[in-house]
Amino acid sequence: MIPAAGSDLGHFVPEILLLAAAGASMFGHLFVKKGGRRGAGYVALAGIGAAGLALALTPPSSSAFFAGHLAADAFALFFKAVVLVAGALAIILTFRFFDVEKSEPGEVYYLILLSIVGMTAAVSATDMVTTYITFELFSIPSYVLAGIFKKERRSAEAGIKYFFLGTLSSAVMLLGMAFVFGLTGSTGYAEAGPALAGANGLAALVAMSLFFVGLFFKAAFVPFHMWAPDVYEGAPTPMAIFLSTAPKAAVVAILMRAMTVLFGGYALEWSAILQAVALATMFWGNLAALTQKSLKRMLAYSSIAQAGYLAIGLAAWEGSDGMAVLFYVAVYVVMNAAAFGLILLIDGGGRFDESIEGLRGLVRRAPVAAASALVVLLALVGVPPTAGFMGKYFLFAAAVDRGLVFLAAAGALNSAISLFYYFRIGRAMFLEDVPPPPDSGRPQAGHVSRTVTVVLAVCATLLLLLGVLPSPLVSRAAAALLGR
Amino acid sequence: MNIFGIPILTFVTFFPVAGMVVILFLPGSRAKAIKIAANLFTGLELGATLLLLTRFNAASGDMQLVERLPWIKAIGAQYLLGVDGISLLLVLLTSLLTFVATLSSWQAVRKRLKEYYIFLLLLETGMVGVFLALDLLLFYVFWEVVLVPMYFLIGIWGGERRLYAAIKFFLYTLFGSVAMLVGILVLRSQYQTFDWLAMIAAGSVLPIVLQGWVFLAFFLGFAIKVPMFPFHTWLPDAHVEAPTAGSVILAGVLLKMGAYGFLRFSMPLLPEAARRYAPAMVTLALVAIVYGALVSLMQKDMKKLIAYSSVSHMGFIMLGLFVMTPMAAKGAVLQMINHGISTGALFLIVGVLYERRHNRLISEFGGLSSRMPAYAAVFLIMTMSSIGLPGLNGFIGEFMILMGTFPVSWLWTAVAATGIILGAGYMLWLYQRVMFGTLTNPANESLKDLTVREFATFLPLVVLAFWIGVFPKPFLAVIDKPVEKIIRIVNPAHFEAPR
Repeated sequence: MIPAAGSDLGHFVPEILLLAAAGASMFGHLFVKKGGRRGAGYVALAGIGAAGLALALTPPSSSAFFAGHLAADAFALFFKAVVLVAGALAIILTFRFFDVEKSEPGEVYYLILLSIVGMTAAVSATDMVTTYITFELFSIPSYVLAGIFKKERRSAEAGIKYFFLGTLSSAVMLLGMAFVFGLTGSTGYAEAGPALAGANGLAALVAMSLFFVGLFFKAAFVPFHMWAPDVYEGAPTPMAIFLSTAPKAAVVAILMRAMTVLFGGYALEWSAILQAVALATMFWGNLAALTQKSLKRMLAYSSIAQAGYLAIGLAAWEGSDGMAVLFYVAVYVVMNAAAFGLILLIDGGGRFDESIEGLRGLVRRAPVAAASALVVLLALVGVPPTAGFMGKYFLFAAAVDRGLVFLAAAGALNSAISLFYYFRIGRAMFLEDVPPPPDSGRPQAGHVSRTVTVVLAVCATLLLLLGVLPSPLVSRAAAALLGR
Repeated sequence: MNIFGIPILTFVTFFPVAGMVVILFLPGSRAKAIKIAANLFTGLELGATLLLLTRFNAASGDMQLVERLPWIKAIGAQYLLGVDGISLLLVLLTSLLTFVATLSSWQAVRKRLKEYYIFLLLLETGMVGVFLALDLLLFYVFWEVVLVPMYFLIGIWGGERRLYAAIKFFLYTLFGSVAMLVGILVLRSQYQTFDWLAMIAAGSVLPIVLQGWVFLAFFLGFAIKVPMFPFHTWLPDAHVEAPTAGSVILAGVLLKMGAYGFLRFSMPLLPEAARRYAPAMVTLALVAIVYGALVSLMQKDMKKLIAYSSVSHMGFIMLGLFVMTPMAAKGAVLQMINHGISTGALFLIVGVLYERRHNRLISEFGGLSSRMPAYAAVFLIMTMSSIGLPGLNGFIGEFMILMGTFPVSWLWTAVAATGIILGAGYMLWLYQRVMFGTLTNPANESLKDLTVREFATFLPLVVLAFWIGVFPKPFLAVIDKPVEKIIRIVNPAHFEAPR
């Protein structure tokens, strides 16, 4: 019995708009001779704006759509909004990037949109087949995005690496899904979940582990993170922003749905797995970041570590505690995008400086950008009064309430460790002076971008506001969980 | 009571932020305007905190002028401020020392004025908030807010090794405070609230083992801040590298935050654990007293000497708190104020010389009293205050701590008293080497005595030193009830025992 699909489409207007914008962007890029590439970007950004508007007007619904393959509940809508924010930030910073790089591969814009469509559908998926297809839908464009500068070695390497490891891990995930299907005879979460709870425990655990491997890979959880530093470092910076934020948000949504509905009978087991993952990811990410010299690579490790804090919340998740995860995902996207944006702030000689030294004495040259960046760094460390602190607080509180005090303590310890490398940036910006022009070949006292300054300032304001008054986001996150 | 329609505790907490905004919009080239604005705002803030006195009822040991607003409903965190006698004195100390520090920066700070005063004002908001917050999460927020401006004060306007000292300070204290955060989380999961008043009303509900863990978590946060032996190693670096105003506030107020934390949170909320760990705490305090004093004797740098003397003096305060008698605890609270006054003044005194000579080595000076008589007098008074000469503030505090300790253990009293003797040793020796003798170093020939502005910075501190020394009653009256209330919770046996 298949219900009328027409009425179902009403709940997926954002996706339709994104697809339309992707098409328009693609044709603009192909056929408009003059300014078509930037035009494609504006179309893409407008598409995200329209989708955001449509999303705000879409009422959450608790019913299943398309024969139980998709949900349009408040939970999905929350993550869709997060993904859209990540996409918009990436596109705006892409403009800045191409302004300096001179060449502008306009495919980027609709590839980002297509990837976003995949994610918005993936966070809605309630059936393993749909989950897999949407997962691939957002993954494949992201491989291309990582390698978009195919003539540049680093970028090409990032693309290839991401592609091979990515397909391998999704194949493993598919195997896990096949196990679930074999054990239960159905692909829908709602039907397979209860059947799985009564099935052979060991086989179910194998299925779950395989399923999770694909997701852990995409979220760059340790020990499935090996690709991440190279890809984030090698990919053009705006692509790194996109790849390090949006897919993680989508994966968290898929995980949370799978953990409760599909593997609800194995809560103890997945909690144990995620506890181990959280510990490994936080410590590995933070300790590795300590030793980095390149700003970009350091931020790559930082984004791994940040995912570790999220894993705390996932491990401790039961019922309403999950609000912490949702809150932190949203905050993480803003923090991480802004931090990577710092790389794009200064250009000199037609390129960007990816070293920390390049930011020396920034406060003298660009006080607004420096102050905003400081807020972002404090948020990443988790120092109040920023949203980063509130997010970490909620995560740690969830752990303590579930009796996982050691996870909270490890998270707190990691925050203190992370201060050391994050504040190498703060030190360069505020405490060190602009170096005298040496023959280092480094662009000296480059030009400070206004676009990036505005992005940083907006992100910093948001992080401060949500740090002082987190209630609006908290209540949305809590509502998203209740409506699931 | 309201000021401009704003409840007074909120007003005194956030008034410096208003100053920050004003300075933010002043053009950076108008140095004088920035200085005047900063001094005006810290001065008005001092006035506003003094206004608190008119509404404060010293006869009550309860939290007063409580302000309560919902903050984060989902987790039950509130915007909850309140003041009792202990908080009141510490807030007054904060606003006084911040004003003094601002005034003392007039000549000393020459670069990046705008940022400097913005950080100073932000620091003040954080410190006042720490002493007024009664919601544990809010307390934590203010506690952390203090770190950032202090990091920059040391890191930008500090001495040679400022980068190292700044990050060491930040890392050390952040490490302690995240441990404290975990403790707060555990407390909240047990009490289902962050509300200090409600926790006190509910009484001690934590099982003893859990109390011990939370006490340890809080211990890391507070002991690093105090700093207690063996967590004191950040302090000499931070003090030596910080600009004068930074040292004044660091020693005068920031260290007190740690002691305050023990008194306000660790002791009444975790009474069984506090009692259990009291001997260990006392031991660490005694080690700090003697060790700090011995290390002070060895120092060549005046600022480092005073920094180590702070370790010793803070040991006294911790001893007073963890002996857990009302007399010793009251002495400890009074000594917090005294140490703020005398050590703050001593850092200013070193700063005066440093401004003139850009040198702090004791061996560079000698015989200054003939060139700088007013300076010599102020230095002498503060030296005596630090030693604990009767008639000056230090005596009252130390004497009360010893008096409160004696009935508990004569041995602890004896060890602590050694610290006083050693203290007299290093301070008098310092004074002798710097001020007496013949002036041999030609660089010191032309040293100017205190200017009027400098004298004005010292005046309130000197007056207070004498006031507390001669007539401490008003100060003791304010802290009498609240301290006794806390001691009754943490050590009820003291009040039951026949005397």
